[in-house]
Amino acid sequence: MNVGFLRVLLNPGRFFEERMQSEPSLKIPALIAFIIGLIGAVSAALTANMIIGLLPAEAQAFGPVMVAFTVVGAIIVGFLSWVIYSGVFYLLSMLFKGEGSFKRTLEVTGYGLLPQVFGGIIGAAFLYRVISSLTVPTATSPEQIAEVTESLTNLMMTDPLMQVAGLVGILFVVWSANIWIFGMKYARNLSTRDAALTVGIPVGLYIVYTLITLTGWL
Amino acid sequence: MKLFHLFLLSLVCIVAAIAAPASAGPADLTVTSSAIDPLVLMKGDTGTLSVEIKNNGAESVTIRSARLYGSGVVALSDSYPSVGDIGAGNSKTFTFTVRADAGEGTFYPMFVLDIQDGGNLRYPIPVQVEDTPLTASVIGKPDAFSEGRTADITVKVGNPRPNAVSGVQVIPQGTGFKATPTGAFVGALPADGSGTVVFNLTPTAETDVTFQVVWRNGINTHTADLALPIVFGEDKRQADPVVTNVEVVPEAGGYRIVGDVMNAGLEAARSVLITPGAPATPTDPYRVYVVGTLDPDDASPFEVTFRADANVTEVPIVVEYRDSDGNRYTTTTMVEVGGMAAPVKDSEGGIPVAGIIIAVLVAIGVVGAIYYSWRRT
Repeated sequence: MNVGFLRVLLNPGRFFEERMQSEPSLKIPALIAFIIGLIGAVSAALTANMIIGLLPAEAQAFGPVMVAFTVVGAIIVGFLSWVIYSGVFYLLSMLFKGEGSFKRTLEVTGYGLLPQVFGGIIGAAFLYRVISSLTVPTATSPEQIAEVTESLTNLMMTDPLMQVAGLVGILFVVWSANIWIFGMKYARNLSTRDAALTVGIPVGLYIVYTLITLTGWL
Repeated sequence: MKLFHLFLLSLVCIVAAIAAPASAGPADLTVTSSAIDPLVLMKGDTGTLSVEIKNNGAESVTIRSARLYGSGVVALSDSYPSVGDIGAGNSKTFTFTVRADAGEGTFYPMFVLDIQDGGNLRYPIPVQVEDTPLTASVIGKPDAFSEGRTADITVKVGNPRPNAVSGVQVIPQGTGFKATPTGAFVGALPADGSGTVVFNLTPTAETDVTFQVVWRNGINTHTADLALPIVFGEDKRQADPVVTNVEVVPEAGGYRIVGDVMNAGLEAARSVLITPGAPATPTDPYRVYVVGTLDPDDASPFEVTFRADANVTEVPIVVEYRDSDGNRYTTTTMVEVGGMAAPVKDSEGGIPVAGIIIAVLVAIGVVGAIYYSWRRT
């Protein structure tokens, strides 16, 4: 496997300029999306495992099934977010008369997801730290399960460590956005300014939404 | 010689008899006034009776004695022996100490003057005896007493007697309470007059408080008692803080309870403090929430933070307040926290220093990477 793609982290301009010389390939971007999905699956599995702890003993048998569903779902979400990012960038770049295939956009967006691998790992570590500090009581009814789940969500959302994790996640998104600007510039033949707008608008909105959520304004 | 002496002696006597002024008779003496202090006696009272006489005649009168006698009101002092002469137009006052020995009514002890030349003056002096005592009544007290709570007791003293009394005092007596002042002085009360005194009474147990009214009728001291039973009950006007609109929010390191506290009573609740009680352990930032003064019908939001074990299902929210006298009260409202996720004991929810260091390092790395990428472009 050619690991030269790691250059995209520090020198995305040169990297994508070189990539434009060859046909678009989605192998490595898909691998990156898959890894992000896997890391998300770890976080999801940790959370699911905590929720399973709520269930009465007779319902614990469904635990592995729930975890499996959660893992699969997280991987799908990993791929979906890749496609959604690409779609949004592709559509926005059309406003700036961007030229280039959607496959090329998928390719550069996938490479741009690479910093979020690190963000996902740090986020999962923080999540594990928070979850391991919780004692979860056993619930006996669906109402109690819903209530405790809501309580757990509140607990985790208000945990300072989770808020720090959110900020760290934003930093990695900013790093990704920086890569996407170079990627979209070459993939859709945009000026640097148009590429920055194409990437900056949706990413900026996403960051604002995340900050509002973290501060509890919503 | 003997006959001569006898003749001279007889002559002197005759001359003396002829030369002596003519003496006034009893008809010329009159009782011009009489007075008794106190004006109206009570049974057993001692008073002073004064009688003034005047010689309206043209000649002096020689009085052998003056005395007072009678039943019901008896003289304690001796009679006046050998009073002597009262010149024409002169007055003289006789004072007797008397005591009311019988019951109520008007008595007429007899004042008697014995005249030297024969005859006497007899004059009945009216003396009124009435046993009506002063009255006392509680005209102000709280609806209910509480242990340790100071209450204002207003006592009104009235004088239904036909004469004025003096030195009126009201003295609370009994055990199981503290009174301020320990006694109140009203002073003189005229007939049909009244006076009001206020006591701050702090009961420590259910008891009877006796307000003893002490007064003087002349030189005689009398008392009357007014009993006030102290029974503890619920004051209908007292402050009544009610905790409502409670919301339990589990958070890292414990729980946060937000809600409203409202004063449903008719008196202000002062220095209102809200704290979570055991088994909860109060934690920062809201170990204690200070509301301050809550007037009737006022409401205030509050917020407390605490830590509790996972098996704790209910936590008491303790509202502590004082009344205007500084007495402290507490009310407790149980709040359910069961069914919520609870953090383990080693999670204090503090600032995650390690997390912040990591975030700072990441920020430096990301900024560096972005800067580097644009430098290489």
